[in-house]
Amino acid sequence: MLSITNLETTYNDIVLSLKGISLEVPAGRIVSLLGGNGAGKTTTINTISGIRNSVNLKIETGNILFDGREISHQEPHDIVTSGLMQVPEGRRIFAELTVEENLKIGSYTLKDRSHFQEHCHRVYEYFPILAQRTNQLAGYMSGGEQQMLAIARALVANPELIMLDEPSLGLAPLVVQEIFSIIHRFNREQGYTILLVEQNANLALSISDYGYIMENGKIVMEGTSEELRKDKDIREFYLGISESGKRKSYRNIKHYKRRKRWLS
Amino acid sequence: METIIDILFSGLSMGSVYSLIALGFVLIFKSTGILNFAQGELCMVGAFVCYYFATRLEIPYLIAFLLSIAIGSILGALIDVLVFRRLVGEPIHSTILVTIGLASILVALSGLIWGHDTYSINSPFVGKTVSFGGMVFSQVSIVTILVSLVLFGLFILFFRRSLLGIALMGTAEDSDTAGLMGINVKKMRMIAWILGSFVACIAGIFLAEQSFVHAGMAHTGIKAMSAAILGGMQSIGGAIIGGLLIGLVENLAATFLTGFEMGGFHFGDVKDVTAFAIMILVLMIRPHGIFGKKEVERV
Repeated sequence: MLSITNLETTYNDIVLSLKGISLEVPAGRIVSLLGGNGAGKTTTINTISGIRNSVNLKIETGNILFDGREISHQEPHDIVTSGLMQVPEGRRIFAELTVEENLKIGSYTLKDRSHFQEHCHRVYEYFPILAQRTNQLAGYMSGGEQQMLAIARALVANPELIMLDEPSLGLAPLVVQEIFSIIHRFNREQGYTILLVEQNANLALSISDYGYIMENGKIVMEGTSEELRKDKDIREFYLGISESGKRKSYRNIKHYKRRKRWLS
Repeated sequence: METIIDILFSGLSMGSVYSLIALGFVLIFKSTGILNFAQGELCMVGAFVCYYFATRLEIPYLIAFLLSIAIGSILGALIDVLVFRRLVGEPIHSTILVTIGLASILVALSGLIWGHDTYSINSPFVGKTVSFGGMVFSQVSIVTILVSLVLFGLFILFFRRSLLGIALMGTAEDSDTAGLMGINVKKMRMIAWILGSFVACIAGIFLAEQSFVHAGMAHTGIKAMSAAILGGMQSIGGAIIGGLLIGLVENLAATFLTGFEMGGFHFGDVKDVTAFAIMILVLMIRPHGIFGKKEVERV
């Protein structure tokens, strides 16, 4: 459904941020894009969404195909209209608008307004808390509720593919669990395709079908979630589990001794 | 008693004009982040165009009125497309300087086209009065107040109820995220400019009917800016109330303070100073205005 080949981007015409990445998101699947801070995850999905001018980001080479069409030079609103929606990092809900107005903005691209109520009801089924808060100013809700609103706002547009940028950011572990299980249910029950960008590798791999690991603007590893969870390096560096399968003890850490084998 | 009502009434009618201009400031500032110093000049252009149609070409007043606000709105769209679309992402001081330049250009062009004299609009309301309960009110003021009130109501409804209005508010708050929701941010900016110059033209025509059409009327824009600042620069309701307040206070001060002497200090004509005095006071005491909020924040 979404396929990226050899994407290379620069910030301010100088700083090479993505150094030729390729990835594939098949329809109906959850694909995660994992990596530490500054690996280029957000840059990747901002490039896909077309948020380039305001952050001085430029595509040097590479293709982004969505449903077989090249979208790498389209404006953000055209990309959304073609069915690709992003839930931005840090929620970015409209704090001065009510929950319902936020959902209305989310549904802006819906051609047929009569479907709005229907979509809203379906979204409220997954996020019942939002149904109780329709007239509350979004800025006054808790972080978890805001994240739910940010996801709900994307879902009312009924997109074909949703890109979630770190839905776990700044939330309590229990709330994160809840949100991830809702994302998983949405994928299974409604068949949405999801590209999940996360730092929390363990949680992301637990619900996704396939994963990519990014470091320094490159994809250094990819595989099914099963393969990745079994991989020694991933276990060591991303999941924090030592080889014996126990939790890693930080007392006898010898991090520097073990080199990541993809760094040659 | 009757003088008080008279003062309040003419204050309200001047205040409606300020409110309309302030509304333009707020609409453009909220949606594009540009503080448009040419707002008063847009009023002036509206008044000149209406004068051209109604007085020189002798087109019926209502048609001339509608034509001029249509032309004013197109001018707003043109300004956005030709100038400010290219300035997105530039720092705020450069956009402000561009609006000041734009103001000079508009004044110079109007002078070239219509001359620098003082004219009056050929309007069916000018010079006529209505008596009500023994009191005499000017028709121009009544029309100004009524039309402005209707417009204020429509604007508030538009921003609370319609999808386009909500999309405009969302774009004003966070334009990148609005783009991610599928909103054409460029189009929203253009709509803000169109609405801003639309209200400016109406304000300009009413202002010209209360006095005359001349290039100097553009300075009213700066007074209206103090109304917008009083209202908080972010809030549509604030701009409306701020404008009405400035109009009322200005008229009260003109009546009661002009010629006032205190300890050997003689107050001159204070009318034109009032708005600026209020602006300075607001900026000192409550910089975010009456209705402006710093930001919605969770406590």
